[in-house]
Amino acid sequence: MKDRIFRDILPNVSKPARYTGSEVNIICKDWDECRTKIAFAFPDVYEVGMSHVGSKILYGLINEKSDHLLERVYAPWPDMEKEMRSHEIPLFTLESFKAVNEFDVVGFTLQYELAITNVLNMLDMSDIPLWSKDRNEQYPLIIAGGPVVFNPEPYADFFDVFVVGDGEEVLLEFLDCCWENRHLKRQEQLLKLALLEGVYVPSLYSVHYNEDGTFNKMIPLYESVPDTIKKRVVADLDNAYFPVKPVLPYMNIIHDRAVLEVMRGCQRGCRFCHAGVVYRPVRERSIKTLKKQASEQLASTGYDEIGLTSLSTLDYSGVDSLVKDLVKEYREQGTGVSLPSLRVDAFSIELANEVQKVRKTTLTLAPEAGTQRMRDMINKNVSEEQLLTAVKAAFQSGWLSIKLYFMDGLPGETEEDLEGILELLKKIRTLGDENARKKVEIRASIASFVPKAHTPFQWQAQNTMEELEEKRRILSRNKMKRIKMSFHDSRTSYLEGVFSRGDRRLSASIYLAWQKGSKFDGWSEYFNFSRWMEAFRESEIKTEFYTSRLRSYDEVLPWDFIDTGVSKAYLQDEDEKAAAGITTGDCRWDGCTGCGICPAFAIDLDIKEEFRG
Amino acid sequence: MRLRAEYRVESNLKFLGNLDMMNLMTRALRRAGIPFALSEGFNPHVKLSMGTVLPVGVWGKQEYFDLELIQDMQSDEFIAKMNGVLPLGMEIQRCIKLEDKQAALMKIINAASYTFILKNSDYDYAALPDTLMSQDKLLVKSRGKQKGIDKDLRPGIFEITVNFHEESVMISILVNVGEPVNVRYDELLDLLKDHGVQYEEVLDIFRSENFMRTGNIFCSPFEKVR
Repeated sequence: MKDRIFRDILPNVSKPARYTGSEVNIICKDWDECRTKIAFAFPDVYEVGMSHVGSKILYGLINEKSDHLLERVYAPWPDMEKEMRSHEIPLFTLESFKAVNEFDVVGFTLQYELAITNVLNMLDMSDIPLWSKDRNEQYPLIIAGGPVVFNPEPYADFFDVFVVGDGEEVLLEFLDCCWENRHLKRQEQLLKLALLEGVYVPSLYSVHYNEDGTFNKMIPLYESVPDTIKKRVVADLDNAYFPVKPVLPYMNIIHDRAVLEVMRGCQRGCRFCHAGVVYRPVRERSIKTLKKQASEQLASTGYDEIGLTSLSTLDYSGVDSLVKDLVKEYREQGTGVSLPSLRVDAFSIELANEVQKVRKTTLTLAPEAGTQRMRDMINKNVSEEQLLTAVKAAFQSGWLSIKLYFMDGLPGETEEDLEGILELLKKIRTLGDENARKKVEIRASIASFVPKAHTPFQWQAQNTMEELEEKRRILSRNKMKRIKMSFHDSRTSYLEGVFSRGDRRLSASIYLAWQKGSKFDGWSEYFNFSRWMEAFRESEIKTEFYTSRLRSYDEVLPWDFIDTGVSKAYLQDEDEKAAAGITTGDCRWDGCTGCGICPAFAIDLDIKEEFRG
Repeated sequence: MRLRAEYRVESNLKFLGNLDMMNLMTRALRRAGIPFALSEGFNPHVKLSMGTVLPVGVWGKQEYFDLELIQDMQSDEFIAKMNGVLPLGMEIQRCIKLEDKQAALMKIINAASYTFILKNSDYDYAALPDTLMSQDKLLVKSRGKQKGIDKDLRPGIFEITVNFHEESVMISILVNVGEPVNVRYDELLDLLKDHGVQYEEVLDIFRSENFMRTGNIFCSPFEKVR
């Protein structure tokens, strides 16, 4: 198959290096010597999937530390799909060029709600039936993990199994279990797998709804099947596996650098933030471990940049020493350090200065909202003074442009809050003109708030598209010199909103949308909203039921059975405090805020270093 | 010190673009611990200059790059270290020390030879060189900068040779690179097709050599150094 792909197909597609495999550090294990064979499927294009840190972890872990085998497959770009279909080439993995349907397990990672159409398309390209009920043990087990599966219900009918929480904590035992039960019938395999903590088998439950359409309950069909699914958590991140020989792509990928995951989880408690809840508690790695990982990764890849990644890297207790030491150690070789979006304070700017000794970087800050009132409501504990001080320091240090992230459509938002964004942008521009050596450029990116499961705002109504459009009109009413605003597509946000709090009844719509040609829905050039609306209509789904309906606190939510450790009382309390404009502290500094997650897993915040800065 | 290296790119890496090749090489230099020189400025880069771009879809038998080092290194050591880290399908074959005043590769390579491997068929390949070389003009649609306009390849073609093997035929075409007529491999493919060669018969394409031409004399970038 590989020869045919190289000869007949790759010369005719864009960016063929997406499909050639044979990258540096690729691991090609002997097929016949290995136990469970899993195709790890990323439902987006190569350069996106290859940038995903979780995939790198699982790739190294399974292939280096077990007798199982894990190979990569990414969504072929539409031009490649067309060639493959016309040459009758099934979806294949990059290691062995074997068809995906020859594997025992196909594991998708769901990083983004709308990636589901690519999942269906990849299954279809693999000649695998899309519906779980149509697959027996002749077909691979189709599983999914990732942040999206904290509300797995909208996708429940397509997958045999969901794996909830930190993947490296559960995948090995999952694959062991598959191996031990490989001779069983599918139903018996599923019953065995359902006994593993963090493993959810949707077909083993019946789902009931109330007359008004709201969710009533889920009942396990067998006694051995658990009522709730508790997420898996790596307790000791410092000693957890992390790959130091990641696959090195030939083509440019989105995050083309060595990566250090300095910590997992975030303790800030922003009330809109899904990751902030589901990845709690904060677990850090020590500087010693990170430096070792940096040196080993650079030696195995030859990258000239080290990225420090996490949900809030500037909060990492060792960030100051780590950045300074890495810069000092690798500066001579022209190897730089990069930080993601910065915390809004002067210390962050100081560190950013340190970083750009080697390489010039862009500066990104996320105040999220334009008024103090709104920042308090979402618990973004940043004052205008802090923001302006940080920005001023940046301009004085030589930056001439700055990027800012905001959200609109937040609960309780008024026109004043939108005006506040504009006022803030103007203040920042003035500050820049006064403090930088020439006129500055401000870029603002504005995303629409999407209420997410397991957050304090999980009961809130999402703005309608009309409301969002009106807000955009207000925000872009007057052109402002040297301030560039970009907006996320409100239709995309709306759809995300349907699925982020959806239930099992949405699967028919997803199937129809795919059938009508939806795929790569995260890509504006392929996203087609009307196709989705048709699909909802034909499957008799009223999308407003999921998006713009304010839920009551006593409503049973379709994702309640997924136990992230957070207490519902805490979420409700946070939602009420938001309405009252009361902020909640940060448990790293201000003591426990009672979210309930640490006790649920009998672990604690794991802070490694003495914070400086 | 500056050095010039000759390397080979096998078929499994033929779909890499020029930027990909650059990245591959600089990352290999870092992994191998080569004492490369860095440029100054906001984004320091390795002082590496690659020869003419190897087109996507074509592999190369003898490709070249020049590299500046901050300390001397023996050729053997350089080759051994690099080949220890380069991916399968890429190999440094030769390496030589350059005099400081030696001109950059991109400026001096002005001819190349492309080889097309075809399935042997009824087609009269033996007659192809004379058929093509005897014409005043060989027009194809340009695939280069002025896409679509008629382009005469004839002044850019120096020689065509055909070799027969058991089941295949190799057509090698020696062409001009850069001004006045930059002949591309895909234009040559179009030319062959226009003369009745079936596209399905083309099994493989590679660049066999790069040259520095002066009149009728073709030298490799290594010979010129000596």
